[in-house]
Amino acid sequence: MGVAVTTFEVTPAARWRDFDWQLTLYVVLLLGFGVILGVSAAWNDGPSPPGVIPQPVKTVIWSGIGFAVLAVAASVDYHWLRTFAVPIYLSTLGLLVLNLLAGNEVFGAQLSVTIGGLDFQFSEIAKVLMVIVLAAFLAGRGQGIGRLSTIIGAGLLTVLPTALVLRQPDLGTALVFVAILGGMLFISGASIGWMALLGGVTVALTPIALGALADYQLSRLTCFLDPAADPQGACYQLVQALNAVGSGGWLGQGLTAGHANQLGFLPVQTTDFIFTIVAEELGLLGGFILLALFGLLLWRITIIGWRARDGLGRLVAMGLATMLLFQVVVNIGMVIGLLPVTGIPLPLITYGGSSTVSILFGMGILQSVRMHTRTETF
Amino acid sequence: MGTQFEHPDLPRSGIRFIAFGVIGLLLFTVLAGRLFQLQVIEGRARAEQAEAARTADVAVPSQRGLVFDREGRPLVINVPTWTVAVRPADLPAARQNAVLGRVAELVSMPVTQLSARLNAFVGSPFDLVPLVTDINRSAALVLAEESASLPGIELQVVPRRQYLNERGEADGTLLSHIVGYTGPINALELEQLGDAGYLHDDQIGRTGIEAAFESELRGAYGSARWERDASGRLVKVVEETRDPTAGRNLVLTIDARLQRMATESLLWGMQEANVSEGVTIVMNPQSGEILAMVSLPAYDNNAFAGGISDELYQAYLTDPNLPLRNHAISDIYPPGSTFKLVTGLAALQEGVTTPARRWQTYACYQIPGAPAGDCLYDWNRRGFGQLNMVEAFAISSDTFFYQMAVNLGVDRLAKWAYELGFGAPTEIDLPNEASGIIASSEWAHTQGRTGVYTGELAQAGIGQNVIAVTPLQLLNAYAALANGGHLMRPQIVLGEADADGNLVDRYEPEVLHEVAADPANLSLMRIGAREVITTGHAYNISDLRLPGALSGKTGTAEFGLPDAEGALPFHSWFVAWLPSTPGATDSPLAVITFTHRATVIGNVSTEVVKYFLQQYFNLEQDLRLDPVTLRQLSGGN
Repeated sequence: MGVAVTTFEVTPAARWRDFDWQLTLYVVLLLGFGVILGVSAAWNDGPSPPGVIPQPVKTVIWSGIGFAVLAVAASVDYHWLRTFAVPIYLSTLGLLVLNLLAGNEVFGAQLSVTIGGLDFQFSEIAKVLMVIVLAAFLAGRGQGIGRLSTIIGAGLLTVLPTALVLRQPDLGTALVFVAILGGMLFISGASIGWMALLGGVTVALTPIALGALADYQLSRLTCFLDPAADPQGACYQLVQALNAVGSGGWLGQGLTAGHANQLGFLPVQTTDFIFTIVAEELGLLGGFILLALFGLLLWRITIIGWRARDGLGRLVAMGLATMLLFQVVVNIGMVIGLLPVTGIPLPLITYGGSSTVSILFGMGILQSVRMHTRTETF
Repeated sequence: MGTQFEHPDLPRSGIRFIAFGVIGLLLFTVLAGRLFQLQVIEGRARAEQAEAARTADVAVPSQRGLVFDREGRPLVINVPTWTVAVRPADLPAARQNAVLGRVAELVSMPVTQLSARLNAFVGSPFDLVPLVTDINRSAALVLAEESASLPGIELQVVPRRQYLNERGEADGTLLSHIVGYTGPINALELEQLGDAGYLHDDQIGRTGIEAAFESELRGAYGSARWERDASGRLVKVVEETRDPTAGRNLVLTIDARLQRMATESLLWGMQEANVSEGVTIVMNPQSGEILAMVSLPAYDNNAFAGGISDELYQAYLTDPNLPLRNHAISDIYPPGSTFKLVTGLAALQEGVTTPARRWQTYACYQIPGAPAGDCLYDWNRRGFGQLNMVEAFAISSDTFFYQMAVNLGVDRLAKWAYELGFGAPTEIDLPNEASGIIASSEWAHTQGRTGVYTGELAQAGIGQNVIAVTPLQLLNAYAALANGGHLMRPQIVLGEADADGNLVDRYEPEVLHEVAADPANLSLMRIGAREVITTGHAYNISDLRLPGALSGKTGTAEFGLPDAEGALPFHSWFVAWLPSTPGATDSPLAVITFTHRATVIGNVSTEVVKYFLQQYFNLEQDLRLDPVTLRQLSGGN
């Protein structure tokens, strides 16, 4: 806008009056939804062995830690992020390298690092950190935002972490990075023409990327195209998931009563396929309620982004919105057979401390953006 | 903030925000639409598919029917055995050696054999793979106790058939050829019978009654729908879809005590005459009920019930006396002089001779149309002068019956052989019954010949060369003579019983057909058979104090290849029945013995039947001839 305005310092107490309770409410409801599903998923697994904390309890604990992180992030002026953009970027890369070198193997991929008995999935926090890095970069482009160099620069920043997570291999997170890049470039005002051109080139290069995929990744892609191809083998999970979703009907079979869930037909039910429990046990109604909660959350984030005081705040907000929208659409889309199966968690619902804390950290920054919207002009 | 002035801020594009929102809304709409499609439109079909994936119909085995003898003695029962099985999915690879090692130790088997069985299994890792069957009770108890430390190992209680003798002892040799045994179903049978509810690890009747009455004994398996989890493990029964129907209990026509007597007498005779194969069949000629049927050597069907060892099975297969075959119905032999019943009856019926007409007999019968001197000897090599039918049958003159056969021609002889049940299975309810060979023009054509030589025809008249019958066919023909001309279907199962062996449903005797012969001619042949006994042709058997007029016919023949001293082995037949008076048709008993490859000249089969009758009627007499006497007797036919 370039209009010089007179700004006055706003007291911290006044800023906390702008803390967005609506946003917080949606986050809490989604987390609660996830806890309930976790309880249902574990219903028939018998009592936990001594010394092992049940997953839903862990989720509550991680949420508590997450809200503490949220409060700290909210209380810091988000403009500091731009100042620290370079160290943030470097530490993002460092975490991903660490993940690659010291990661525990889960289903053939180094997805987490164990430190002090706790598993950390650094790729989760890396997604939020990349939103910050790209926001800082793009906001700094100023009037040069429409140039090709904007897209190339942002692209180069994204390529490194994307390559690192692909090495794990974690196709899902890599796709999230690309989605964040696209969404943020779009909102930032980058040239639509250049984006379309480069996006087209990327799509054209996809067959090469497919060649680099492992067999199991490829078979997941083919199952998506034709689930009947190998219903007992590679496509087993997808076919079971589709049938479980279908058996939910209008109102579902009731919590803890979903056959596919309770009989273990969904091998990674509490992680990537948790939406099948929603669909099977709570039916179309439950699915719509969950979609509505995500819709409200995204709506709220978009409002914050629109009202943000400057480009940095706007981009941070819309980067997080893109990240959440992409994960929700891809995760649910794969469970219901609209998209190929890739390992992308359902935000705030899928069990995972790293994911929960990372998203709550992002929500904290969002609160900071919200709280610094008012410039108190007189 | 000062920086805002140094770096002009980005422009805010309302259109791009709106576009972002619209894209998001569109994506959510697609998700919602797809959910509606899956859950509401396809919901029912998908619920059914999910139901099918998580349930399994599992067969509930029925109890296989028991078998009793006609006196209610149990002959086949079911006993529980323990089988050690492994479910590969539950056995961690790292612990496989340790777990199998412990099992091997408990059952005293090399661990390599167990792992070989596990590795040879192709199928779902959730299937149970049997490792060791029939382990002993103490090993089973230890295994059950240690089950917690033996992941994947399961102990199954498997019912097994146990075959009993007349005293109720486990003894698989007395009745193995009748009762048969069960064995694991093979892939081909499973394919054919899968619809009938057979399971991949099922047992099926392999031979004998177990095979012939498979469907009756098996009953019908029930079915239960189980809920299973994703790994295929059965969790709980959802519903009993069909109750199993227990197999029917059968009562045999066999009297196990008579079976024992027949076995003992045959064993004695075989030992005396150094015979390697023998058959005795005892029948009620009025009904066709088989009271005893012995084929020696026998095998142990209990060895099969428990899964026979390769060594024993190979021994059975390579034994030249074929212990696995029921010689009474599955093997064919030349009937020798016993066939003179057919030739004689045919000659009377076809008008070749009359009861009174006498025929010259010869030392050697010149074959008509053959070069001079090409003749066939009578058995005494002297001839018997002039004989009528009864005399010729009683003395068993060969040259008399050569003439009958030559005058009949091969097809009229064959016609009467068929009429008496030869050349076709007797239709007894046992598997693997042979039809035999009856010379005829048609038969010659099937052999690629234009006809039967006159010399062959003459020999056919005395049951040699181009005639071969099963012992059961021969007994059945004589039973038809004994009962007045009813060719019965030999009956081996008397009916169905309750669990205690009491007959509840009797199978009615069946007549295959009435022998289309003049009753007077049949009566004449019965008189001839009585004369066989009374004229002493069957040695001293006429001295037995029996409650009736024993009638019968002997047969002996040289056959096969000469031994080192140039002597041919002998086989011998004796078939007899016991009417109340000579020629009567009321005999309750008919018995046949056949011995194969004897090294004595005398008719050892006669001795066997004699010994059997002595035991059957509990006589104090013992008229058995010793082997020295037997060796010195003439080779009367």
